[in-house]
Amino acid sequence: MNRRDADLLTLSIAAEPLDAPMRELVRLHGADAVAAACRGESGTPEVPTAWRDRVDLSPVDAVLEAAAAAGARWVTAGRAGWPVALDDLASVDDPGLAPWGLWVRGEGPAEVTRAVSVVGARACTTYGAEIAGDLGADLADRGWTVVSGAAFGIDGCAHRGALAVAGRTVAVLACGVDVAYPQAHANLLDRIAETGWIVSEHPPGAAPLRHRFLTRNRIIAALGAGTVVVEAAPRSGSLNTLRWADRLGRASMAVPGPVLSQQSGGTHLAVRRGEAVLVASADDVAEELDGLGWSDHGASEALTDEARRIHEALAREQGLGIGDLTSVLELPVRSVRAGLAMLERRGCARRGSDGWVVLRGLPG
Amino acid sequence: MSGRAASVTLDGLVGRPIEVEADIVGGLPGTVIVGLPDATVNEARDRCKSAVMNSGVPWPDQRITVNLAPSTLPKTGSHYDLPIAMAILAAQRAVPPEALRGTAFVGELALDGRLRAVPGVLPATLAAAEAGCTHVVVPEVNVPEAELVEGIAVTGVRSLRQLVAMMTGDEPPDDPPVPPLDPPSTQPWGAGERLSGLDLADVAGHEDVRLAVLVAAVGGHHLSMVGPPGVGKTMLAQRLPGLLPDLERSDAIEVSAVHSVAGLLPADVPLLVRPPFLDPHHTASAAAIVGGGSRFVRPGAMSLAHRGVLFLDEAPEFAINVLEALRQPLESGRIVVARAARTVVYPARFQLVLAANPCPCGQGATRGSTCRCSPAMRRRYGEKISGPIRDRIDIRRTLTTPTRPELAETLATGRGSHDLAGLVLAARERQRRRFDGTPWRLNADVPGTELRRSWPVAEDARLLLDRQLHADKLNPRSADRVLRLAWSVADLHQHDRPIADDVRTALSLRSDLPLDAAMRALVVA
Repeated sequence: MNRRDADLLTLSIAAEPLDAPMRELVRLHGADAVAAACRGESGTPEVPTAWRDRVDLSPVDAVLEAAAAAGARWVTAGRAGWPVALDDLASVDDPGLAPWGLWVRGEGPAEVTRAVSVVGARACTTYGAEIAGDLGADLADRGWTVVSGAAFGIDGCAHRGALAVAGRTVAVLACGVDVAYPQAHANLLDRIAETGWIVSEHPPGAAPLRHRFLTRNRIIAALGAGTVVVEAAPRSGSLNTLRWADRLGRASMAVPGPVLSQQSGGTHLAVRRGEAVLVASADDVAEELDGLGWSDHGASEALTDEARRIHEALAREQGLGIGDLTSVLELPVRSVRAGLAMLERRGCARRGSDGWVVLRGLPG
Repeated sequence: MSGRAASVTLDGLVGRPIEVEADIVGGLPGTVIVGLPDATVNEARDRCKSAVMNSGVPWPDQRITVNLAPSTLPKTGSHYDLPIAMAILAAQRAVPPEALRGTAFVGELALDGRLRAVPGVLPATLAAAEAGCTHVVVPEVNVPEAELVEGIAVTGVRSLRQLVAMMTGDEPPDDPPVPPLDPPSTQPWGAGERLSGLDLADVAGHEDVRLAVLVAAVGGHHLSMVGPPGVGKTMLAQRLPGLLPDLERSDAIEVSAVHSVAGLLPADVPLLVRPPFLDPHHTASAAAIVGGGSRFVRPGAMSLAHRGVLFLDEAPEFAINVLEALRQPLESGRIVVARAARTVVYPARFQLVLAANPCPCGQGATRGSTCRCSPAMRRRYGEKISGPIRDRIDIRRTLTTPTRPELAETLATGRGSHDLAGLVLAARERQRRRFDGTPWRLNADVPGTELRRSWPVAEDARLLLDRQLHADKLNPRSADRVLRLAWSVADLHQHDRPIADDVRTALSLRSDLPLDAAMRALVVA
């Protein structure tokens, strides 16, 4: 580990992620100086004894050793595996709110791109559980990574929904990545780690303290291109995630419920106040994200050259049969069929009464 | 010379003592039976004559008059064969008349003197015991069910010969055993075997309906499920009996008696301890559901489901008169079949489970619905279940197709029937303690006024109900039903009395709203 990563790790050990005095000190003196002060290597800048005590208590080497045992690695901005989406947090507030680094456990891909956050009430209803699971599965099917908080209720259902269709999902914890919290989700967390990621800005072994959930929410919101709240009571922490999404310029969405249901009171309120867009399905979510430039098309398959050529050959008015296309383009029938199917799935071509016509230009 | 033998007649489950008198007088040889016998009873003459002669006893060559008293009561059934034969044997002193005193006889005779099994032995024995008989003689195959009755000695015999020998003190001959009544080819519920091994955890998804089934089992509430075909309504209904505790002995006797009258009682295990489950087909006639028949009034599905579950699948497809016939038993727990000659009462305190499609095509109420039914069609379809019946259904759920994660069973593993039956048993125990010394047993049985007076709910719960009433969201009768449901929810959560959350859950159950996390926790393993 190089010097910079170790310094950032020191900072993450010394104080809570959003500790305002630390953010201010780092802005004035730089991470290396503050980290050195925390380690007691220098007297300037002056840092609270509590920070030095914490670093004394769990020095970087010991933390790294514990992390290695837990299968966790420390990733900082700019390094491989760092989700660039988190950089947006740096510009939200004046000193910036980006995490110093992330602990990552799991076999997920090198980077998280194309992610949607799905969050909601821990005390969800039967309806919320069903919807969250369905949404998780449908989004994962479209190639989105489902980000959530691994809590009881909606979070758990969203993760499980994604796993049900062998999709990828990321759990952001308010404790160490090796801490199974809630305990009943230990299995779920292990399954998430098999194909996805478990991330946290707290060192391994850290306890899930109450205030850590609120700071954790900013990471959930930042990782996703948008945040969907499935069920939330009017004072739910999930609405906090929604507000983070809004501040970060992400799409903030809410799933409606029965108007008599308390657990949908918060989502309804968010929609009514204009803090969230109403979505009822993965289609709706995709459409919202499409508006932010996150095209859903081509998620699972890249357009083949044949498909592009077929698209060029098709007209808007005059329909063309498969036979016409094979002879004009000199392609085998099978390639033409495959290409047309690909275009149809994307909504770019359609079989009309007199053959295939083009509907719109190719995306991207 | 005259002889007498006691027997019983059955009016539904209610038996009445019958005295069979035989008088042998001079005159042209012949036998007459008086006392309003029907064709079956009249034919007893010829069966008795052959059976007696084939048992080694001469048939009197004189005029025999057999009277079945009280003579104004119409008689039907082949079980009078044995008492008629015994009265005639006593009249000619082939058996000592005093040996017949205090003994009731029930059984059908074969021409060779064998004693054939008859239906209804259990209620007949109950009636005999009630009428003061100390002893009952029944066909040997019927002994297990007769022995369920306490306080009466039961003798089973295989043939008239054996009985005569016993009465005269001779060594009874060893006759071959007689086969039991033909077991019904289609057992309506097969003594619970058909449903054993069905587990609620097998149902994918439908958390809220599994909860609805659980609450229904706790308080004996009626349940209705609406959903597209193939979504799991029948699966869920079939798993309700598995959650119910065994019948108490008095109930088990009553249920067995109804099945005995219908001839559906298995000869080997006559006491039905599991709550019955009846799922008549929607083409069933009113007589099959309600009970009926020209001479002998057989109990229908409603009575066979007594203390158990009556499941009407595709409820709107049932004939209107069948559905309307549900009203009386739902209200009073019994069914009265009135005929010109007689009125028969059968018990019918069943738990009703209705399943229906949302519309005639069945595809309405689903996401991405392809339903083309017009609003008028849908309304007509729904209205087949009339308001008075719909009003008595406490729990209503709409089923949607399970989502993919639910089908993959990754969302949550459901708790098994075994676990849930334990919850039901505990909740029922609370009810038993609460209703001790009252005529009621389950929350669904208790009249609203009584419930409000004797068992007040928590203050916040009362306020919530009052608000609903004042806002005209509930009428007073519905409020009572919500209250009963709230008690069942409270019993499940082991609350001493319903709190506001329990009432809220009850309201959700009744108005098809999502159920809260505390409820979810009950069915999620």
